[in-house]
Amino acid sequence: MIRLDNIVATYTTQRGHVNAVDGVTLEIPDSIVMGIAGESGCGKSTLMKVIYGDIGFPLSLSSGMVDYGFVNERGEPVTTENIRREWFRHISYIPQSSMSSLNPVVRIRDQFVDFPATAGRKKEVLAQVRAFVPKLGLPPEAIDAYPHQLSGGMRQRIMVAMATFFQPEVILADEPTTALDVVVQKSILLLLLDLQKEMGNTIMLVSHDMGVHYQITQKMLIMYAAKVVEYADTDDLFQRPLHPYTLMLINSLPTIGDDRARHGLPGSPPSLWEMPQGCRFAPRCPLATALCRKEEPPLLEHERGRFSACHYAASVPELKQTLQAGPRLSEIAHDTAQLTADVERDV
Amino acid sequence: MKLAQYVVQRFIGYLLVLFIGITITFFLPRLMPGDPINNYISQVQARAGQSLSAEATQQLRDSLAELYGLQGDIFTQYRNYLARVVRLDFGPSFTYYPEPVSNILLDAMPWTAGLLITTTLLSWLIGNSIGLIAGYFNKRRWATILEVVGIILYPIPYYILALVVILLLAYWIALFPLSPTFLPGPMTWNKAVSIIYNSFLPALTLILAGFGWNVLAMKALAVATKEDAYVQFARLKGTTDRTRMTNYVFRNAMLPQITALVLSLGFIFNGAIQTEVIFSYPGIGMTMRAAAGAGDYNLLYGAIILTIFSVATAALILDLIYPLFDPRIRLGG
Ligand SMILES: Nc1ncnc2c1ncn2[C@@H]1O[C@H](COP(=O)(O)OP(=O)(O)OP(=O)(O)O)[C@@H](O)[C@H]1O
Ligand SMILES: [Mg+2]
Repeated sequence: MIRLDNIVATYTTQRGHVNAVDGVTLEIPDSIVMGIAGESGCGKSTLMKVIYGDIGFPLSLSSGMVDYGFVNERGEPVTTENIRREWFRHISYIPQSSMSSLNPVVRIRDQFVDFPATAGRKKEVLAQVRAFVPKLGLPPEAIDAYPHQLSGGMRQRIMVAMATFFQPEVILADEPTTALDVVVQKSILLLLLDLQKEMGNTIMLVSHDMGVHYQITQKMLIMYAAKVVEYADTDDLFQRPLHPYTLMLINSLPTIGDDRARHGLPGSPPSLWEMPQGCRFAPRCPLATALCRKEEPPLLEHERGRFSACHYAASVPELKQTLQAGPRLSEIAHDTAQLTADVERDV
Repeated sequence: MKLAQYVVQRFIGYLLVLFIGITITFFLPRLMPGDPINNYISQVQARAGQSLSAEATQQLRDSLAELYGLQGDIFTQYRNYLARVVRLDFGPSFTYYPEPVSNILLDAMPWTAGLLITTTLLSWLIGNSIGLIAGYFNKRRWATILEVVGIILYPIPYYILALVVILLLAYWIALFPLSPTFLPGPMTWNKAVSIIYNSFLPALTLILAGFGWNVLAMKALAVATKEDAYVQFARLKGTTDRTRMTNYVFRNAMLPQITALVLSLGFIFNGAIQTEVIFSYPGIGMTMRAAAGAGDYNLLYGAIILTIFSVATAALILDLIYPLFDPRIRLGG
């Protein structure tokens, strides 16, 4: 289990300090796929950086730390303090753009063995890598190529291969497929899921695609303006959201064959520099009252395993009834079998 | 197969460039006013007073025309000229008559090549290393000091730099000779040491002059390259600074610098004049200046053809080796 304890992550800018993650406390069970969603700028990538332990100017941790729930070689518990030494051994990262994340003038095999973990035993590791890549649907020669000789999909498979090769406990993926076309996106996600099932890692996936989240995640974290507003099992969260913002995000989900005007998200999130008093979502919230504008709701466990930061969490299911405009969930694929079918059909 | 095609293509291009360059050097002087033979004859006349008869002048004119390939119409001249260039036969020198120009150039070439190739490579290596470190660690204060070396050295005009070096190391602290003396005779260990010792000052000025630019260029390239996504990803892989600085930043940032290096090696015979004149160094530059001063057309021709040849050859070499450094270059494309 990974524990985040009151994380406050601050960017130092010329204008001053700004908290891009502002008090996040979470427990993430092992071996699940957790999705993170929220509008642009809400702090998803910053939270991923904090969990990865990539903290350095201009980002600093003003409060809190992450406890990863596993120990390093010396038997010490791994926390924010020492996570950097475990990069790619115990925690790995799939970057957004595979196109530009590989060194263009060096063969891929050489980029596979310059981890600190492979120092001094490159030959041996390379042999293992060669045995490993066919599992990712890559021809074995792919690792002898230069990046520009591979397609975008193959390159992203290489990134997945790097992220999974050392069998880390945690894999972070910040919009890992945005640069790819839809069919390839799905096949990469499937691949990642297959490997995750086999190895039992925890995956944290940032995506703007609520459909993808619905299909592949077990838990969902919804962020709004540097805060967590809802955290729950994916099924529960989609069926019966307990935060009006989650509801609006789900309503913005595109459905195939649905030409009703979708309820996008009216308005825009507040600037991190001028946070409203009270609930940060209040200015856009159909349920907001004087209480909301005065008092910031804490993230509470309203039902077992269901966290929401809303004074009126209990009224959100009602709101959903009245809105009635969302996509019928039955129309969206909700398991990987469907995703596989999609991929096969598209191919 | 692709490789062979690529090499052949580049080679044909190379021959074409040479041909065009050589052709231009043939026609250009002929478009200019003044006639080398007339110039020469008037020089001779000036020396001989008015005692030269018209007949003797005509005889001199004919034999000079024959000597310098100026007989017949322009196409005959051009054909003969091409044939002679191919045989590296530029005729005899005016000033060192009857020594053939090619001998003079062959004697001077190793001096220039040795001095300039060594100093160009050294200033590239030192300058780029400093620039790389200054750029890679550009957020650290000590790295700024490294960059200052480049900022200070780069804008200083060469002759001032040379003057300062001479004052410092040949005059105040008389460590090195002001102008070199080279032992005649076959190459021995002693002679080699004396050549290095005597060439030290000109070499130092050339290294200092070339190096500031390399520091600044490499620093700018490294600063930009280290923000590239693949360097950032390498950082998140946990690679060491050393790995990232060399295998990631340098391997990419050096590409334009390789181009600059090879091309500047091609220009060594043009760049040598100032240094060689200041230090009385017996290379191509000195030879060219002497030839220009004395109106020694054949020698000048030979030297110009030599520079055309060396620039074109450098460009060819660049085309041939560049794909080794940048695999994205498509062969045969
Ligand atoms: N290097 C930085 N310096 C200063 N502020 C930053 C920096 N990086 C991000 N921010 C700010 O922090 C906030 C959160 O950014 P973050 O990248 O975490 O958002 P995000 O949720 O990942 O957005 P997106 O969906 O667009 O990726 C934004 O307001 C952004 O402007
Ligand atoms: Mg982001």
